[in-house]
Amino acid sequence: MSSLAARMAAPLTFHGSTPVIPAGRLPGAGLRAQLLWLARVRVLWLLAGFALVALIALLRIATLGFGGQAPQRTSMEEALLPPRGEITDRNGAPLARAFPAYALWFDPAAMGDNGAPLVRTPAEVSRALKEIFPDIDEARMTRRLASGKSGYLRRRILPEEANRVFALGEIALEIPRETDRYYPQGTLAAHVLGYVVEDQGGKLGMEQVLEKRLSHPDKRTEPVALSIDLRVQGALEDELRKGMLATNALGAAGIVLDVDTGEVMALASLPEFDPNTAGAAGAVNVFNRATNGVYELGSTFKPLTVAAAIDAGVVRDLGRQWNAAPVPVGSRSIKDSHPLGASLNVPQALVHSSNTVTARVADELGPERMRRAMIDLGMDRRPFIELPAKGKPIWPQGNWSRVTNMTVGFGHGLAVTPLHLASAYAAMVNGGIWRPATLMKLAPADVPQGRRVFKESTSSRMRQLLRMISLYGTGKSADAAGYRVGGKTGSAEKAGAGGYNKTSLVSSFAAAFPMDAPRYVVVVVVDEPKGTIASSFQRTAAFTSAPIVGKLVPRIGPMLGVQPDDSRDVDISDLRYLVGGDKE
Amino acid sequence: MMTSQQARSLGWAAVLAICFAAVIVLSFKVHAVKSEVLLAERQLIALERETLLLETEFQTRASQRQLAEWNTVEFGYQAPRAGQFLEGERQLASLGEVRQPGAPSPIRLASADAADTAAAAEAPMRSPVSGAKVTLASAAADKDAGSVFADAFGDFLIEASPIRPARAETPARGAKVAAAQGAGE
Repeated sequence: MSSLAARMAAPLTFHGSTPVIPAGRLPGAGLRAQLLWLARVRVLWLLAGFALVALIALLRIATLGFGGQAPQRTSMEEALLPPRGEITDRNGAPLARAFPAYALWFDPAAMGDNGAPLVRTPAEVSRALKEIFPDIDEARMTRRLASGKSGYLRRRILPEEANRVFALGEIALEIPRETDRYYPQGTLAAHVLGYVVEDQGGKLGMEQVLEKRLSHPDKRTEPVALSIDLRVQGALEDELRKGMLATNALGAAGIVLDVDTGEVMALASLPEFDPNTAGAAGAVNVFNRATNGVYELGSTFKPLTVAAAIDAGVVRDLGRQWNAAPVPVGSRSIKDSHPLGASLNVPQALVHSSNTVTARVADELGPERMRRAMIDLGMDRRPFIELPAKGKPIWPQGNWSRVTNMTVGFGHGLAVTPLHLASAYAAMVNGGIWRPATLMKLAPADVPQGRRVFKESTSSRMRQLLRMISLYGTGKSADAAGYRVGGKTGSAEKAGAGGYNKTSLVSSFAAAFPMDAPRYVVVVVVDEPKGTIASSFQRTAAFTSAPIVGKLVPRIGPMLGVQPDDSRDVDISDLRYLVGGDKE
Repeated sequence: MMTSQQARSLGWAAVLAICFAAVIVLSFKVHAVKSEVLLAERQLIALERETLLLETEFQTRASQRQLAEWNTVEFGYQAPRAGQFLEGERQLASLGEVRQPGAPSPIRLASADAADTAAAAEAPMRSPVSGAKVTLASAAADKDAGSVFADAFGDFLIEASPIRPARAETPARGAKVAAAQGAGE
């Protein structure tokens, strides 16, 4: 204000102190008025300048007062928004979630005084850290702290450890909160879920398939529900693992499929990997035997052949006797694994798993209709499922010859994934409708219409036949009391270089339960089981994969809403007499 | 001497001043409530995160594989058999039916008298070796055993529990780290 006063005072004093001016020296009245006006304008400008400064200062104070000092505010939704959406099972139990974790970060500039980054010497600090994390290399940590480079000292630490690091009082040791992709169930459903690589996104399983949905800014608040049931998956993996270890097998695969919707209730492939530790370096055992491995599944195809033959009207009279002598095909012949008599009817052929009769049935059906039935069941293309790991079937190209037709009839010469077989069995028992398998939970309205492959009557006949196999045939060890399991064993030699390998088998069991009103299909495949004490020194499916189903079904049945009942069963009274009188 | 005009304008000025003061007080109040809400929100976020942490820990410890292992080693539970299920309300009601005349008498198992068990509970505890009466240290105290235990070991157990949220991060440091990393959480 002093300068203003001085500037204002100057013209005033000039004006006031010269009341008398010699007339001769007057420059003129006009000039004087002009000067006065100029002085006033200058004063006004000055005032305006001060007013502006004051206004700016006031505005600044107001903004500081009302908003500036308030801590940066984030809404609750924003703070709790996971960086990647959650994946749950069909009942909402989390399978993969963003997990708040802590890291240990070294920031040498944290002290902010251009001095030493640590209060104590690096050696002392690394000794203190060694007490908290016993596995660190003290010498290396000392060099690391002395180097003065910022970076992670440890990627993941527990809250308890974070507290102890904080108690050290070193400002340069920061504990940023980070979120991690975490799989609470560990290795469970690893092949279904896949894993996440930082900065690259999901890999392998549904993490890869749902990448966009899981990282979408709006949609990621809502968890994605898979069709998997956690408890069923746990039971399946448990039983598969036990069976695999008991028979000293290379691996095993299992599928539980809802026959009416195509939802996969459980899908497992062993050996598995741990998605929690899988990262940029990849993981071991990522090969998915259930959807990616193609196998000649052997005798499990026989019911499909018979179903196609019944459907086409080739098999009308189930009591008809078929020649069971070896079928000569060129220089070789199709034989049964053990002689079953001169002739068999179709139920007997299934119960005793006769190659010769099934080959003759397929022969009578003809290659064209057989091929059509297999195409209708989706055997000629990769399986229908969301997973990226889908195996291409080994499908006989061109028109099928008589030999091809007959060998496909008992499950050779056509290699498919276990999932193909599960979908085909679902179509066979659910009334004849084939539906694509899915890993997403479906609302009742979203269930695909599917396509009709078999007649309703064929389907109900097949239920009887499948039930008879597990009552009187090779599937006895899968017949869980009260659950009305029906299914077929399959033991196929693995195709290797130069023909079939006699010593390595793929044993499979495809089943459905409860057979009076089928709800679920279970397919179990054991890769190269060995004869052990647990399997009575047998490698075939009746001793390796069927017992797995027999133990699995009672565990999963009640969870899936199937109540065991000894007083119910599918009515097989019209076929019972056709299968030998020696049983029961 | 103040004219009525002057008095009126003075009055208006006073009213204006009072209103202005009230607005200031009100805005302070609003600000205080706002920051309280903010604090509460922060607390909610912290609690939500802690819940998530604990929930995940429970799920990890009770994973399907772990439960199956426990069952194999410890419990040996089997899948339920058909006889363990009830068909419906009718079957349930049939269990409580009055005995029909002429029906075979039900099998009765030996049972202890209720009065005896009450007496046994009050009888002093005896050493299985010497047969001498045993008085528990906690029984001697007038407080019950649970509170004695809680007094003695409560703090220790809380300290030893692995489930504790990290207090390590102050908001200011958290904000700085988040800013430094760009991505924040």
